[in-house]
Amino acid sequence: MDFAFLSSTMVTLIRAVPTTLVLFSLSILCGGILALGITALRVSGNPVLSGFAKAYIFVFRGSPLLIQMFLVFYGLGQFGVIRYSFLWPFLREPIVCAVLSLALCTAGYTAEIFRGGIRAVPAKEIEAARSVGMSGFLLVRRIIAPIAFRHALPAYSTEIVLMMKSTALASLVTVWEVTGVAQRLISQTYRTMEVFLCAALIYLVLNFIILQAMNLLEYSLSRHRRPFAPGLRA
Amino acid sequence: MAAWELLGLGAKGWGAFLLVAAVTTLAVTATALAIGAVAGAAIAAAKLSGSVILRVIGHVYTTVFRGVPELLIIYLIYFGGSSGLTAVGAWLGYDGFLGLPSFAAGALAVGIISGAYQAEVFRGAFHAIPRGELEAAMAIGMSRRLRLRRIIVPQVLRFAIPGLGNVWQLSLKDSALVSVTGLVELMRASQIASGSTRQYFLFYIVGGALYLILTSLSDRVFNTAERRANRSMSASTIGGA
Amino acid sequence: MPGVTRLSVRNLRKSFGTHEVLKGISMDAQDGDVISVLGASGSGKSTFLRCINLLETPSGGEVWVDGKQIRMLNGRGGSRPASRAQVDHIRSELGMVFQGFNLWSHMTILQNVIEGPLHVLKRPKAECIAVAEELLAKVGIADKRHAYPAHLSGGQQQRAAIARALAMKPKVMLFDEPTSALDPELVGEVLRVMRALAEEGMTMLVVTHEMSFARNVSNRVVFMRDGIVDSSGAPEDMFGAGASPAFRQFIGHFGNPQ
Repeated sequence: MDFAFLSSTMVTLIRAVPTTLVLFSLSILCGGILALGITALRVSGNPVLSGFAKAYIFVFRGSPLLIQMFLVFYGLGQFGVIRYSFLWPFLREPIVCAVLSLALCTAGYTAEIFRGGIRAVPAKEIEAARSVGMSGFLLVRRIIAPIAFRHALPAYSTEIVLMMKSTALASLVTVWEVTGVAQRLISQTYRTMEVFLCAALIYLVLNFIILQAMNLLEYSLSRHRRPFAPGLRA
Repeated sequence: MAAWELLGLGAKGWGAFLLVAAVTTLAVTATALAIGAVAGAAIAAAKLSGSVILRVIGHVYTTVFRGVPELLIIYLIYFGGSSGLTAVGAWLGYDGFLGLPSFAAGALAVGIISGAYQAEVFRGAFHAIPRGELEAAMAIGMSRRLRLRRIIVPQVLRFAIPGLGNVWQLSLKDSALVSVTGLVELMRASQIASGSTRQYFLFYIVGGALYLILTSLSDRVFNTAERRANRSMSASTIGGA
Repeated sequence: MPGVTRLSVRNLRKSFGTHEVLKGISMDAQDGDVISVLGASGSGKSTFLRCINLLETPSGGEVWVDGKQIRMLNGRGGSRPASRAQVDHIRSELGMVFQGFNLWSHMTILQNVIEGPLHVLKRPKAECIAVAEELLAKVGIADKRHAYPAHLSGGQQQRAAIARALAMKPKVMLFDEPTSALDPELVGEVLRVMRALAEEGMTMLVVTHEMSFARNVSNRVVFMRDGIVDSSGAPEDMFGAGASPAFRQFIGHFGNPQ
């Protein structure tokens, strides 16, 4: 093994990690907020709104992320309305397009996960909340959302790891994140295996950190399922 | 030129080109699913085996190929496979560059990824077999091989159908990434058509719609298969039995 | 052939970790014997039955089926069978009926019954089907032969499982609490089938809680307690004046069966 090459590759790739992390965190944040809205529409009970949410989920989960990203990156600039609008300086930026399409896509998956969480909320607990006079947003905020989020957490962790992998597609719209830099190194050096191993290691470490963080979150949200520990009360 | 002309099946239209590409997408995905089934069965067996080494190998495989971006794995197989092939060529006395065919590289890469997911599906399906049914097979004197063939495999296949449906959808979408190898599947074809006509929006929408058709059709196929396979499980068919 | 020893168990031992479940059990079954094995839960009676056909690997002792000993190897990590093929063969000569029926859910009742003869004994298919239909008629579920197990009641499933075991033409039938998972109203139909088998002269070893079966059908009762045979004998003696104090206390919980 050529350690000098491996370490210089590693250094080059690690320089691209911030870009990957920006893509990741922005799209998880925006996608999560969007997903809340879509979930709200989906469970609203209004056939038009929930129909729209259903169509959204169907489209973004049923087609490849890459084609969605190309549609945003190449497709939007075709329209004069967008080209001459105040948004264009942003939408011209590849990283904005990448975050936008990553967020739109993950929102579809996440909305389904949130809906699954809501369906797992026991009807009895909602009844109990109504019986003490809770309704509307208060009921959602205090009872439904916390329970639903806890139920949705394992599936949401999986989705977040999938998103970390999906940030790699941004390289195809010229955002130089880890996979893009790795691809450039491969075509410069032809040392595919070494570059692959370095890049793979970076992603596995990132996944590991995310999963540990999610486990920690899950643990802290499941105090009610753990045996009673009197020492912790003080 | 109007949209309907661009999408037509005639000489100036791109319709036929896109449809052929859609068939290529299905072919890559189907080949990948088959490769993944073999890899997945082997990895599931390794993860279920008594040997610590095999279990570690299985665990590493599923962790790596489910945790690393699909695009990187495609690069690994496509570029790595080509350099491997070139090295073999040089050894045999051929000096030039030998490229791995893009279809083979793509199907292999997506297949390897799909194998990691299928391994988990098969493992789950194996655990879904009631232990008592395996004991009954032992008690009647079935050998290991016979138990595998008559009891385990049929039940695993039945329990695996919903999971395999999900893996198929995943692979179908992953196959779009094979476009980076230059294989003219649906994604690449949409790129070519939109690039040549400058009608990006139109062709990516049409390409996306074709993907939606493929995913929803295959969803139906798997749902039907699941219903058929579970006929023996549901009590609703008592009258028809 | 009365007088032939079909099954012989010598000093059978079984431990799970440091916990010794069977502390040396010996027992013989002659041709036509119907032996009821009784005992509280945790007394080791199911483990005993499962050790006979090696669903559990005994830690020590000997099992002889029809004059042939199951060869065991003793190495580090305990004992194990010397030949897998021999174990498979011996299992095919022992019919086992489980508490939970354990019919193969992906096969119809008829397929369940012909599976062993067809694939283990490699008999011609027509013969297997003929035998299976006869057996299904005998246990009273001939009309269910094309149904799947999930479509049958527990009692019907257990009778199908008995037919499946009988199709192998076993030398000995082992019953592991065959009625314990059944609703009370379904117990009778299974016991009737077992009684008919006993009357035909089948050699049977029955782990059960059915005191009436033990008393009225079996010709020998074995009472297990804490991994040993506490007492055994003819039902008249066991349920009569000759009962051991422990057995008397045990049957006290069930009321005295008639």
